[in-house]
Amino acid sequence: MTSRRTRLLAGVVAVVAAIVALLMTGLGHDPSVFASPLVGRTAPAFTLPQLDGPPVTLAKLRGQVVVINFWASWCTECQVEQAALDQTWQQFQDSGVVVIGVNFQDTSDAARNYVRTDGVTYPVVEDAGSKTALAYGLRGVPETFVVNRSGRIVKHVIGPVDAAALASEINPILGMRAQ
Amino acid sequence: MNAAGTPRRARAGLPGLLVLIALAAGLATLVMVAVSGHPPASQAQQVQQIAAGLHCPICKDLSVADSPAPLAQQMRQEIAQKLRAGESADQIRAGFVAAYGDSVLMSPPRQGVAGAVYYLPVLILAAGLITAFTLLRRWLRAPRPDPPGAGPPRLSAAQRRAVAKAVARLGEEEPG
Repeated sequence: MTSRRTRLLAGVVAVVAAIVALLMTGLGHDPSVFASPLVGRTAPAFTLPQLDGPPVTLAKLRGQVVVINFWASWCTECQVEQAALDQTWQQFQDSGVVVIGVNFQDTSDAARNYVRTDGVTYPVVEDAGSKTALAYGLRGVPETFVVNRSGRIVKHVIGPVDAAALASEINPILGMRAQ
Repeated sequence: MNAAGTPRRARAGLPGLLVLIALAAGLATLVMVAVSGHPPASQAQQVQQIAAGLHCPICKDLSVADSPAPLAQQMRQEIAQKLRAGESADQIRAGFVAAYGDSVLMSPPRQGVAGAVYYLPVLILAAGLITAFTLLRRWLRAPRPDPPGAGPPRLSAAQRRAVAKAVARLGEEEPG
């Protein structure tokens, strides 16, 4: 009788513990933070017209590290990260790193004005219709993807990036051979 | 007999014939509906159906079909373009899931951890029913003590015979 009661009590405790663990896991997860399912996968292909220059095709950049930054002229957080992206471009462009700014839900004039006044030095492309943004699962701007030499996405950043964090992602890739 | 019977039989057969005709008409209607099915949905309706199953990524609790956000509008345009390109609804949904993950679906998939949302309540209910049934059966089968004041215990036929024999033997042994 006692052993039956003990077993019953142990069962109840186990069920309650499982429910509490489930709740703690669920409550500990911030629903506003989304992990991109694209990390670890091949970056979606695109060929997009440059604001002032020839179209940019991602496939042609295979073998280089590509930093793809989605931005808009109306986005204040994009202005925050602008210096970091320029610094990354200046620091790594001779080491096989390309920074591409993908303009999102914007007008060409506004984008061109932003590039001129904020001194954007890396290539900027336009994504009319947001086809590329949708392929990258974009939820807003800024968002940044780091693509390794074999064309795989290795990092996804939601919100402004900083130069040191980008460098810490890029440096190990530059030290590695293409997979 | 014959002259009177024929009209009566004819009158009796008329309602039956009408029922048969009605049944045949109903059956024909059912067959026609089954064969023709629903009219094919227009492309706008297809876009609406697919968009209604997708969660607007930048909204709270709004589908792509219901959201006025520019991103949702662009998603609807993308759905329309993909339909024109010959993609099926499943392929289009899979494309959005590949980019956004399962969270882009209005209904979580019935597999993996999310599947527990669908199956766990049913399993808990089944376990509860089985437990209740087992406990009830055990309770019904358990021997119950006689209530107080219920009198002496009843004897079986064999016991009664044994008692009668013992009483008779006592009578025979009594002197005189």
